[in-house]
Amino acid sequence: MIAAAICIGVFFVCPAKSFPAQANAGEEPLRVAGEVGKPGGRIVVALRAEPKTLNPLTAADGPSREVISAMQADLVHINRASQLSEPALAKSWKVSADGLQYTLTLRHGLKFSDGHPVDIDDVLFTFRVYLDEAVHATQRDLLIVGGKPIVVSRVDAETVKFTLAKPYGVGERLFDGLVILPRHLLEAAYKEGRLAQSGGLGTAANQWAGLGAFRLKEYVAGQRLVLERNPYYWKTDEQGNRLSYLDEIVFLFVPSADAQVLRFESGETDMISRLGAENFSVLSRQARDYTMADAGPGLEYNFLFFNLNELGEKAPAEMARKQTWFRAEKFRQAISLAIDREAIVRLVYQGRGTALWGPVTPGNRRWANAAISYPGRSLDKSRQLLTEAGFRFVSGENGEQKLVDADGKAVEFSVITSSSNADRAKMAALIQEDLKQLGMRVQVVPLELRSLIDRVTQTKEYDACVLGIASFDADPNADLNVWLSSGGMHLWNPAQKHPATDWEAEIDRLMEQQLIATNTAQRKKLYDRVQEILTERQPMIFLASPDILVGAKKTIGNFHPAVLEPYVLWNVDQLYQRNGAENARQ
Amino acid sequence: MMRFLLQRAGHAAFLLFGVSILAFLFSTLAPGNYFDEMRLNPQISAERLSALRAEYEVDRPTALRYARWAGALAHGDLGFSFAYNMPVAPLLWTRARNTLLLTGTATVLVWMLALPLGVWSAERLGRPADVALSWATAVLLIIPDLALALGLLILAVRSGWLPMGGMVSVGFGEFSVALKIRDLAWHMILPLLVLLLSALPVLLRHVRAAVAEALEAPFLRAAEGHGISRKRLLYRYALPAAAHPLIALFGLSLGTLLSGSLVVEAVMGWPGLGPFLRDAILARDLYVVIGGVLLSTLFLVAGNFAADLLLYWVDPRIRAGTGR
Amino acid sequence: MSTRSRLLICLAALSLLHLSVACAGFFAPYDPAAQDREHPYAPPMALHLVDTRGGIHLRPFSYAQSLRAGSFDEYDENRARVIPMEFFVSGSPYRVLGLLPLRVHLFGGGDGGTLNLLGTDEYGRDLLSRILFGGQVSLLAGLIGAGLALSIGLCIGAAAGFLGGWRDEVLMRVAELFLALPWIYLLFSMRAFLPLAVPPLKAFLLIVVVLGAVGWARPARLVRGTVLSAKERDFVRAARGFGATGGYLLRRHILPETASVVLTQAATLVPQFVLAEMTLSFLGLGVPEPVPSWGNVLASLQHYNVLVSYWWMYLPVLAMVPFFLGYLVLASLLQASGGPSKIEEVGSGV
Repeated sequence: MIAAAICIGVFFVCPAKSFPAQANAGEEPLRVAGEVGKPGGRIVVALRAEPKTLNPLTAADGPSREVISAMQADLVHINRASQLSEPALAKSWKVSADGLQYTLTLRHGLKFSDGHPVDIDDVLFTFRVYLDEAVHATQRDLLIVGGKPIVVSRVDAETVKFTLAKPYGVGERLFDGLVILPRHLLEAAYKEGRLAQSGGLGTAANQWAGLGAFRLKEYVAGQRLVLERNPYYWKTDEQGNRLSYLDEIVFLFVPSADAQVLRFESGETDMISRLGAENFSVLSRQARDYTMADAGPGLEYNFLFFNLNELGEKAPAEMARKQTWFRAEKFRQAISLAIDREAIVRLVYQGRGTALWGPVTPGNRRWANAAISYPGRSLDKSRQLLTEAGFRFVSGENGEQKLVDADGKAVEFSVITSSSNADRAKMAALIQEDLKQLGMRVQVVPLELRSLIDRVTQTKEYDACVLGIASFDADPNADLNVWLSSGGMHLWNPAQKHPATDWEAEIDRLMEQQLIATNTAQRKKLYDRVQEILTERQPMIFLASPDILVGAKKTIGNFHPAVLEPYVLWNVDQLYQRNGAENARQ
Repeated sequence: MMRFLLQRAGHAAFLLFGVSILAFLFSTLAPGNYFDEMRLNPQISAERLSALRAEYEVDRPTALRYARWAGALAHGDLGFSFAYNMPVAPLLWTRARNTLLLTGTATVLVWMLALPLGVWSAERLGRPADVALSWATAVLLIIPDLALALGLLILAVRSGWLPMGGMVSVGFGEFSVALKIRDLAWHMILPLLVLLLSALPVLLRHVRAAVAEALEAPFLRAAEGHGISRKRLLYRYALPAAAHPLIALFGLSLGTLLSGSLVVEAVMGWPGLGPFLRDAILARDLYVVIGGVLLSTLFLVAGNFAADLLLYWVDPRIRAGTGR
Repeated sequence: MSTRSRLLICLAALSLLHLSVACAGFFAPYDPAAQDREHPYAPPMALHLVDTRGGIHLRPFSYAQSLRAGSFDEYDENRARVIPMEFFVSGSPYRVLGLLPLRVHLFGGGDGGTLNLLGTDEYGRDLLSRILFGGQVSLLAGLIGAGLALSIGLCIGAAAGFLGGWRDEVLMRVAELFLALPWIYLLFSMRAFLPLAVPPLKAFLLIVVVLGAVGWARPARLVRGTVLSAKERDFVRAARGFGATGGYLLRRHILPETASVVLTQAATLVPQFVLAEMTLSFLGLGVPEPVPSWGNVLASLQHYNVLVSYWWMYLPVLAMVPFFLGYLVLASLLQASGGPSKIEEVGSGV
């Protein structure tokens, strides 16, 4: 009896942590489907570098974007798991019949993380700032459709209209990432022209606000950044409890991948993402109190490309000669057939990757051209292609085979790669060995990333390069700058004034068409053709794509890694600690 | 005395100036600059990039940039970091503090161990105990500090006793002071061990050699003849006589407080100045590199200067202006 | 045993070690760049004399190993497949001292199998071969770098000491400038600043030049000290009184005095420079793929998974130890026979 009384007494004296208030009247929160979790607790995550800033306008580096994604929200959001767009701050939208006008309606009762109410003027201010040339926002380019900036106009207190100059195939996905900024905090800085300087890491917590699931709590230089729960967040779970469940997120700055693995393994961090395959195996083998997950093929594609720039008169003779080799399609095709992609997947990714023949990875279910398939490695075919292209095999000094061109000059060139990316360095070393079988002498030159980019885009002083691009969206438009011949990322010959070859011209045409096409099936047909051309002509020799490898402690609920960034934190508002408040002081 | 001091001070200033120019020149002549990484990001427009470049004046002539920087330096402003978007000085200061914590402790421990051990060894020159110690130090000497660091890390990883890398645990901010100290000490054990094991042998040898030489001196024999106790003899008479080279060594110890632990910090993940500067060099973060190199040089020069002062104070021959 | 005979023994041992590295092609069973993609990170193969049925073999042998199904770095020994160790086999071609082409190797695996006595690295390259060939690169870098630094140091130090006056001042100030710079950052900065699309040979030479350019200051100071004191010696003054020219004095009288300092410095500098090259290569700034060096064969240990799973990648350290030991003993022996000025070279570390 007494025991029962004590138990009951204890039960009342120590209540389980109560849920934060349900939504207020007048609010229209977004009800999110999914497992209902327990409130309380925090998670610790490692960032590979300190974020440079919290200001969405100037953030260009990965760590900044990851932190900002937890602190800010956009009108329409792409669900990272389904890769489909869904309503966010805008509860609904309408597209006009001609595809030129998008009318979005804001939710009621939205508040920034400092309690200040949101109104349509914040949205107008935000887009004015994005489009203002003087601000130099990184997002400005995304809002230029058909050569003209989007026009943003107010319809009423809760509705805003966006008018495009031309229909845009991407549709409402365009709004993903365009986060809404607090006018009450930033207008003054904007008028004084110092908007780009705001939101640095030293900003006081009460001077910054956003609509994301978390807000700034503290920052300790060189060590960590702490975010705390946003009590005004506009999402609730299925039972109507206001999200997010977690009280805090702690971002630790751990610069090397290996140090991150150590911290995760010792339990200091709760989640780890962007793992290399080898570390993934080690962690999987030691399976203690965490689960490792292979989320499947991501959107990153790695490739080898050659310097096909029009260097004109100032090219040294040697470079000119090399370029005649590189421009011969059969040369490139031969190299492509000689590369051992299976070895790359095995040795670099330990099997957790896919060999690529085209630019679209298997992780992009919707846009991959199923008709294109990898013919398999064939050294004989390579040799045949090379002979057809006018090259000859001769005997070298130590008895090995050497490849020479029509003039008898030995085929030798260098491949530059980023020194900070161990995977690509490994790929380059494997390619070097593969091409040795074709009698080519290849030299691998690891360069610091910035010097490398300098060479590829500015000075054009290189022979070949191994690089990778991780698309930020599955939609083909994400990589528009790569396929358009005028694009800055058209790596083998960037920023052309006129397309240098007819197939590049055709790609240009196809990409422009799919840009303004509104029908997805139509767009897919056009993009399929682009992929065909790319695999025929091989300006980039696609190599492999890694799976997204992540891990999290078993105590973390709602852990559903996605293949779009941010891989583990995309649903940070739904993550929860199964042990609830007990984990608050771990 | 003033003359000597002024002379050494002017000397030091000249060194710093020369070094700053060299460092600045090296950095500017390197190809590629910070903004190139941004080019590979399709979301950033070209205008934004050129705006940033103009803002940081990357395209102005070198001499002008140096002059501006030197002027700012006179006001204690070390410039602006492109990479971190904040002034250089606080960045360097946090990292330097971490390094100094490590190397400072290591230096104190090393000298505290080397002096008595060296004297003890010199006293028993050639006898089994001394020979054994010599062998031990020889073994440590031939293992490069890189290998030592890696080896200890492997041990730590396999045994799981010690934290593997980093400086503090998560949640450090909420620890009580006592717990903070304990956590810090716990993380410091491995890097400290490496630094000790690589610096001790060299120092020990020098102390031993210097004291052994001093023990041969006639005045010591005389003192011994006077009946002065062994201990007093060793510490009050022999050691000061052996001071000259040891003080120079001490100056070097002080001088390499900032730069001597690069490899250890890199391998063990200690967030010190070394790895920070290496990243800045690779990132062409101009002012951070110069600031860091200058700071380390400052320590080196200050260390030598301190040694000079100490020597002056200890060695009467210098004060009298003869010898040296 | 007299110092002299100890010195000779030490030199003999060191020469033997260097010879084994110089003839790396012979002692190493395989080409250091030859990849074996079926055997990445294979553990060392144990040699046996007795087989599973209790039969004794005269020739040591090993069992073939292959990847466990479904795994990418775990191996199982295949007791059915025996690989005998054969001596004086014909293998990959190499050149002795870059001149004489040969194909004979001291040992190799018979029956078409490969013997990885020390295991393999991430591309399946034989670690023993990489250590031996890597020694070539690192030791050569140390030797040439030290040679360069000593030559520069000798010239400048002798000039400063002999000429005296303002020239001495200037030269010594410059030397102090170089001494004042934290050498490792200087090394990095110079390395980062130099253009990087260079073939391995050029990269190697660049490293050597950088080492020499950074390390000449200390020898210069020591040589200067010796020259200064030699200059005041009676026999030199006498010679000068007899009308000897500066050149003659330097050649016949002064420079020979510096011999002991230079030699001792050489014995101390070489291991330091070898270590410097190793540090550069370890941090990725040294010789490029696929050329091995003692630094970059250790570089993979920076990765946590390698540290935890592949202990044999640490073995290169054991290979280096005899060399450093040899140089250490040499240096102390030279000091012992050299003279009293031994303490002056303070801080033989950095």
